[in-house]
Amino acid sequence: MKKTIRDMRPVYVVGIGLHKYQHMSETTFVTLGLTAVREALRDAAIEFRDVESAYTGTALIGMAVSRPILRHLGASGIPMAQVENASASGSTAFRQACLDVGSGISDVALAIGVDKPAPLAAAASKANIRDLVGSRVVPFTHFALLANEYMNRYGVKPEQVAAVAVKNNRNGARNPYAQRQKAVTLAEVMAGPPISGSLTRLQCCPVGEGAAAVVVASEDAIAKLGIDRSRAVKVIASVTRTERVYRGAKNFDAELTRETVAQAYEEAAIGPKDLDLIELHDAFTIEELLYVEAMGLCGEGEGAAMIGSGATDIGGKCAISASGGLLAMGHPIGPTGAGQIAEITRQLRGEAGARQHPNARIGLAHMVGIGAVCVVHILQKGM
Amino acid sequence: MPDQILAQPALYSADDAPKLNGGRCKKCGYVFFPPQNYGCEFCGAMTDQLEPIALAGLGTLHSFATVHLHQDRSGKGLQAPFTVGLIVLDDGPALRAILGAPTDAGLRIGDRMHSVLAPAGTNDEGKQIVELRFAKTEAAR
Repeated sequence: MKKTIRDMRPVYVVGIGLHKYQHMSETTFVTLGLTAVREALRDAAIEFRDVESAYTGTALIGMAVSRPILRHLGASGIPMAQVENASASGSTAFRQACLDVGSGISDVALAIGVDKPAPLAAAASKANIRDLVGSRVVPFTHFALLANEYMNRYGVKPEQVAAVAVKNNRNGARNPYAQRQKAVTLAEVMAGPPISGSLTRLQCCPVGEGAAAVVVASEDAIAKLGIDRSRAVKVIASVTRTERVYRGAKNFDAELTRETVAQAYEEAAIGPKDLDLIELHDAFTIEELLYVEAMGLCGEGEGAAMIGSGATDIGGKCAISASGGLLAMGHPIGPTGAGQIAEITRQLRGEAGARQHPNARIGLAHMVGIGAVCVVHILQKGM
Repeated sequence: MPDQILAQPALYSADDAPKLNGGRCKKCGYVFFPPQNYGCEFCGAMTDQLEPIALAGLGTLHSFATVHLHQDRSGKGLQAPFTVGLIVLDDGPALRAILGAPTDAGLRIGDRMHSVLAPAGTNDEGKQIVELRFAKTEAAR
């Protein structure tokens, strides 16, 4: 019979580490990756030789990224592979690590995300299927079209969409790993420069470089290695889906999110009301409104009012993008999904310092990527 | 219009009311644009079940956005600002197209739209290149 992660043995996040997300620099991907992995190992208080398998989420660096990083921790001969799943590469690497531990193949597995910007075209552009617009429609215009539709349908003002950037930059200002660490006013967001439709620069995420690492472990490993049980966070859902055919002009990102999150709720046996914390794919402000609705936190068309009410602020009903999200923490592609797991783990442990969301018990991580793909994980405090 | 060259002849015809070259699955009836011959995205039917179908360049504006930031590496293509529309064709598929006017002045979601061939530069021999765009259909038409 088919199994979910809940039918396997329990999987726990026991170590997290990051290299700050930043503009492209001379820093090599090796240094980026090693910084995050060493921090994660130190956080778990284990050695690299305790790790039994490793997956690296990466989209832009090139072939065989894992070993050029990990050999500098002492080449232990463990299985390693790269995971490319567009913007959800880090999320998918984390899922693979969870499956290794859940299935019993590994007791300790490592998920890494690392990337540096590079002009690598998506495979679909080589399928010889051309459309009318080609490169004249890039993601920011895809989402500007969705913003235009949303505002028109629900009578929402551009300022209400832009308010997402104010909230997420306020959170990012308290995150030392964030690429944008500066609080901004609504007037500053609206002042532009304009990018596409109603979207201004601060409503579009920065794409830079960085790294994130997550160590997952079984109960056996936690006991054997003496890992601090009070800081372990349980993975209670791991779901990934891809786009189906949605007729007409239906927004596939929201539909795909709706399907994937619904399956994750079922797997975790929770509902949207149980969530204290969400890290979602807010590459563009409008996405946060679309996804809170698709995730069932509020009704259709109520997302703008919900965010405006403060319910999704740190300290509100459900903190969204406490890390700053893609909009402020940044979206270096490979690391982003793994970085979300790091943020939720930090919050559930109560170790998020100035941006701590009080009494956080359950958090959801959501990424979408071109293709389209969607990956959702739900984490729960404690063992 | 013998001196006009279509920018993407695989995608549309050179008529005064240009039609779009779509595809249809004979097995499940799914109609799609742009055309492809790999297999039906809806039901998985193989290439021999896919047939070309001409789609009328008529539809409804679903959403639009004026692009302010665009780098055309060749320097010969479209320069910002230009406006992109998502149009649901009367024949079914939704598609994105460049709209006739560079700004969104006067556009409203729900507007009726029709296809036009608009100048899009010249080729190396100096001949006019035209591409399919969509323009608002005024009520008087």
